[in-house]
Amino acid sequence: MASTAQELAFSSIEALSARIQRKEISPVEVTQTMLSRIDELNQKIHAYYTVFHDEVLEDARRAEQEIARGNYRGPLHGIPMGIKDIYEMKRTTCGSQALQEYVAEEDCVAIKKLKDAGSLILGKTATYEFAYGIQSLKSPVEPVRSAWDLSREAGGSSSGSGGAIAAGMAYSAMGSCTGGSIRWPAQCLLHVGLKATYGRVSRRGIYPLAWTLDHPGPLARTVKDSALVLQALAGYDELDPASANVPVPDFTAKLDRDIRGMRIGLLADLYEKSCDPKVLEVYDKAVDKYRSLGAEIVKVPSIGIPELEAIEWPTLWSEAAAIHVRNVRNRGDQYNPNTRQFIQWGLLVSNAYYMLASRCRSQVRDDLNTALTRDCDVLMLPTAGFQGPPPVAEESPGLNFIGSAFEIYTPIFNFTGHPAIQVPCGFDSDGLAVGFQIAAKPFDEVTMFQVARAYEQSEPWHTMHADI
Amino acid sequence: MDSREMVIAKLAEWDIVPSEEDLAELVPAYEALLKSQKVLESMLRTRSMGNAMEFPLSEPAVIHDMGRYR
Repeated sequence: MASTAQELAFSSIEALSARIQRKEISPVEVTQTMLSRIDELNQKIHAYYTVFHDEVLEDARRAEQEIARGNYRGPLHGIPMGIKDIYEMKRTTCGSQALQEYVAEEDCVAIKKLKDAGSLILGKTATYEFAYGIQSLKSPVEPVRSAWDLSREAGGSSSGSGGAIAAGMAYSAMGSCTGGSIRWPAQCLLHVGLKATYGRVSRRGIYPLAWTLDHPGPLARTVKDSALVLQALAGYDELDPASANVPVPDFTAKLDRDIRGMRIGLLADLYEKSCDPKVLEVYDKAVDKYRSLGAEIVKVPSIGIPELEAIEWPTLWSEAAAIHVRNVRNRGDQYNPNTRQFIQWGLLVSNAYYMLASRCRSQVRDDLNTALTRDCDVLMLPTAGFQGPPPVAEESPGLNFIGSAFEIYTPIFNFTGHPAIQVPCGFDSDGLAVGFQIAAKPFDEVTMFQVARAYEQSEPWHTMHADI
Repeated sequence: MDSREMVIAKLAEWDIVPSEEDLAELVPAYEALLKSQKVLESMLRTRSMGNAMEFPLSEPAVIHDMGRYR
C-alpha cells in the first residue's frame, strides 16, 4: 500500500506493525522517515535532547534482516520509539544542568525489555528537570512546544515524549508519572497516556522522583498501541522492591468486546465543582457517549481537591527532598530555582505529616477498591479541570500552585496505585484538547483498556494529528 | 516564631540557607502546608480498638515482612 510520508509518520503502531510483518514496509524506511522529521522539526519542537542517528539505523537494518528471515518478534518489532531522558541509557541528563556529564553504564530494565521486543530507540526525549522542574524561556534548555500550537508548551513532565509523538517524530515514547506526568501531556496533545498498576512495570534504572508514587509508562496514539507497549514492559523484577510478582495477562484480550451492561463510576465529588465549564462540557459528552454504548453510569463518592492536594504534593516533595537534599545543599545553583524550591519545601514536611498522609492514602485506596468491587467496573473522571496546555512561559510558575486551587485529577491514582489511562475526547470551545481517565481494579488493566477502547473507536479523535 | 522564621529554622536543620528569592516562594507554601495538615487530620477515619491490628499497608515494612523483597 502506498502512503505519503505524512501518513507514515502519524500511523498507529497497530497499523504500522501489520505492514512491517507483511513486509510491505521495512523498519529502515520507517526509521529514516522518523529521522528526517526529527532533523527538520526538532529545532521547533525541542522534543529530543539526543538522537541516536547511526545506532538506530543499524538496529533498523538488523530488524529488517530478522523479519526477512522469518524471525518476527511481535508488534513492536521495527517500531521507532523515544525515551524520556530520566531512563538510564547512554547520556542521561534528567533535563538538569547538574547531570549534563552523566553517562549510564547500562540500559534500564524498561529499555532492555523494549529492545527485546524489537523496538528501535530513536533518542532521549526532553523532560521537566528531574521530572518536575517546569522549564521556561529563562531555563538553560528550551521548553518543549506543542505541534498543535507552537506558542504553547507540550505539558509535562514527559514533555519531549508527548511532543515527539504529536509532531510525528515517534510512534510511542516512554514517560514517567508521579502525579500526572504521562496523562497530562497526553491530554494536551490529544494522545493516550498510560500509567499501569503500581508494581506492574519495573522502575529500576529510572531516576526516581518519589519512590512510592513513580510509575513508568508510555504515551501513544491509541489505546491498543498503549496495550502493546505495556505488553513488552510488564513483568516482575526481583530487584525493584515495589515490583509485583503477579501474572502478566494478554492486555489486548478484551479490546474489541462491547461494554454493554458495564458500570462506569464517576468520581464526581472530585471534579464536579472545580472543573472548568469548557472542559466539563466536552467531558460530559464523553459520559453520554458511554451511555449510548450501553454502559450504566453511576456516581461513587470520593475525596475532593483539598484532600487530594493534602496527600499528593507533600508526599511527593518530601520523598523528592530525601533524594536531592545533598545535591541541593552542595550545588543548588545547578538546579532551576523552582526545582530547588520544591525540594526545600519538601524538607518542611514533618515526619508526622508524611505518616498521616500515608494513612489517608490507604483509606482512599480502600474506598476506591470497595467502589470497584461493589458499585462499578471502572472509574471515570476528567484528566484535568483546567484548559491546557499553557502558553510557553517567561518564568516557571514555581510553588504558586501550592495552596491555590490546582485542579489536576491525575494524582489520585498515583497515590492509590490503581491503573489509569488518559483518553482524548475532543476539543473545547477554544480549540484546546480535552481528555478523561478510566481507572480499574489493581492489575485489571485488561478491563481498563476494553472500556477506553470502546469510546476511542466510537469517535474520530485518535485519527487526528497536528498539521506539521 | 512566624512562618518566615520557621522556614529558615527548619531548613537550617539540613544546613540549607534559603535565598530571599527562595523564601518568597517558600513562606506562603509553608503556610499552605499547615492548612493541608488540618485537612488530613479531619480526613482520617478512626479505627475501633477491635480492629487496631489492621495496620495500613503504607506503614513501613517490618523485619518479619522482608521476605517479600527476596
